[in-house]
Amino acid sequence: MNIIKSKFLLSILALLFSTSSLAGVSVIVNSANGAAIDEGDLSRIFLGKVKKFSTGDKITIVNLKYKQATRNEFEKKVLNKSASQVKAYWSKLMFSGKGKPPKELASDKDILAFVAKTPGAIGYVADGSVDDSVKVIKSF
Amino acid sequence: MNKHCGVNMKNIHKALVLSSVIMAGSTQAEITFNGFASIVGGITTSSDETLYSYDDTFNFAPDSLLALQASSDLGEGLSVTTQILARGENDWDPDFEWAYIAYNASDDLRILAGRQRVPFYMYSDFLDVSYAYPWIEPPAGVYSLQFSTFDGIGAMYNTSIGSFDSSVHLIYGGNTTDLSIAGALQNSRLKNLMGGAWTLTRDWLTLRAAYFQADMFIDVPPIEPLAAGWAAAGFPEIGDKLKVDDDKGAFTELGFQIDYNNILVIGEYTLLELNDTLLADEANSYFLMGGYRFDNILVHATYGWDDSSKSRITNGVPEIAPLLPLLIPTNGQTDGEASDSSYITLGLRWDFHDSAALKFEYTSYSDDLNSNNDAGLFRTALVTVF
Repeated sequence: MNIIKSKFLLSILALLFSTSSLAGVSVIVNSANGAAIDEGDLSRIFLGKVKKFSTGDKITIVNLKYKQATRNEFEKKVLNKSASQVKAYWSKLMFSGKGKPPKELASDKDILAFVAKTPGAIGYVADGSVDDSVKVIKSF
Repeated sequence: MNKHCGVNMKNIHKALVLSSVIMAGSTQAEITFNGFASIVGGITTSSDETLYSYDDTFNFAPDSLLALQASSDLGEGLSVTTQILARGENDWDPDFEWAYIAYNASDDLRILAGRQRVPFYMYSDFLDVSYAYPWIEPPAGVYSLQFSTFDGIGAMYNTSIGSFDSSVHLIYGGNTTDLSIAGALQNSRLKNLMGGAWTLTRDWLTLRAAYFQADMFIDVPPIEPLAAGWAAAGFPEIGDKLKVDDDKGAFTELGFQIDYNNILVIGEYTLLELNDTLLADEANSYFLMGGYRFDNILVHATYGWDDSSKSRITNGVPEIAPLLPLLIPTNGQTDGEASDSSYITLGLRWDFHDSAALKFEYTSYSDDLNSNNDAGLFRTALVTVF
């Protein structure tokens, strides 16, 4: 009974923890990235309009997969667009041969791993997922 | 839009592109496949009405399409892109819409060679990707040119001007799509097709201007006897003005888009000028659209207006009996090129899925010169990208 109770409590705590981390999104880059990144540029970076950091490193954007709440939140807060508008935006570029949508990964963990090992990478995760392997530029 | 290319060129083109894509695949360059589809049905509101190829029987053929795009990165900035499109109006015969090699000369400069889009209009680049714009199709009055691609070279240059992102797209090449003139598809050739489009974007505002011109050569068999008649009567220059033989066509476009929070306002204006042909001297078209987004539903209303004019070419010819058999049909032809019409479209777009949208539209068209052509059209579409 005690074990069941504590598991129950733990899972409630986990739920609370996860709902509170949904309330924030952090934009992260590789720890070695020393570039100055203007917040105003974040939207243009994630829409592929800026190709290089101020240090000259090529930017590699990484997105979470479509239905994720964190992605929706990021797109609303930073890009100021809905999921459909973002999809339409990348469709325009892709089907006009002018660009490719960014790489998509399945979870915050995958994003952290990718950003930690790729010098020019930039991505976003839920606040609660951030760890020491990456550098946080800004939280929303 | 019908596409009928010279058979040999088409096959050589297909073979070249297919082999380069296959070669790219075999050298382990990555091939990416994407596609888009529109299933569109429409019906006019009464039995004597036709509009945009629809009549009073519900029909899926005119606007439905399916496209597959394959893109292969060959490394060192080179890539091959091809897009194959099958249209309901062509019995779903797949055809190469584009096939080109692109070279990224730098982060800002991209050069394309092969069959590619002519950036006539704001939505030219993704003309058939209904998912990418509000309407089922961009307003037909403005988007009325019979061809949208060319064979040749293009260059795209991106830069920043102040707080605006600027993009310039220049092209040079030709086109041999058969064009529908005088009621039938005619052998056509456009040479020295050249020009460019300039787009400025900043946050919620997009501004665009474009200009293109070409030397046109179109066989119009129905006009030949009339032209020969004028020559025989001692007025060869009138015959020349009817034929389309090395005559210049010029196209000018201006457009804007405001996408601010939930408000959408889009407008586009085009001017087509043709010199010394049997067709209208000048055709003006514009549309203005206003829309509002509620969550994942967009409601919109569009007003469009098109007119064309042509001056008579027989001024100075004496109206004597022997010349009447030439004067009457010639004046009939030129007078018949005048047109004046307008339309209102009301529509709704529902993004019910993250890769698909459902659209509903009603268009009321009115011909200000002949109200027998007035028509109402309901259309609905399921559009997707994948």
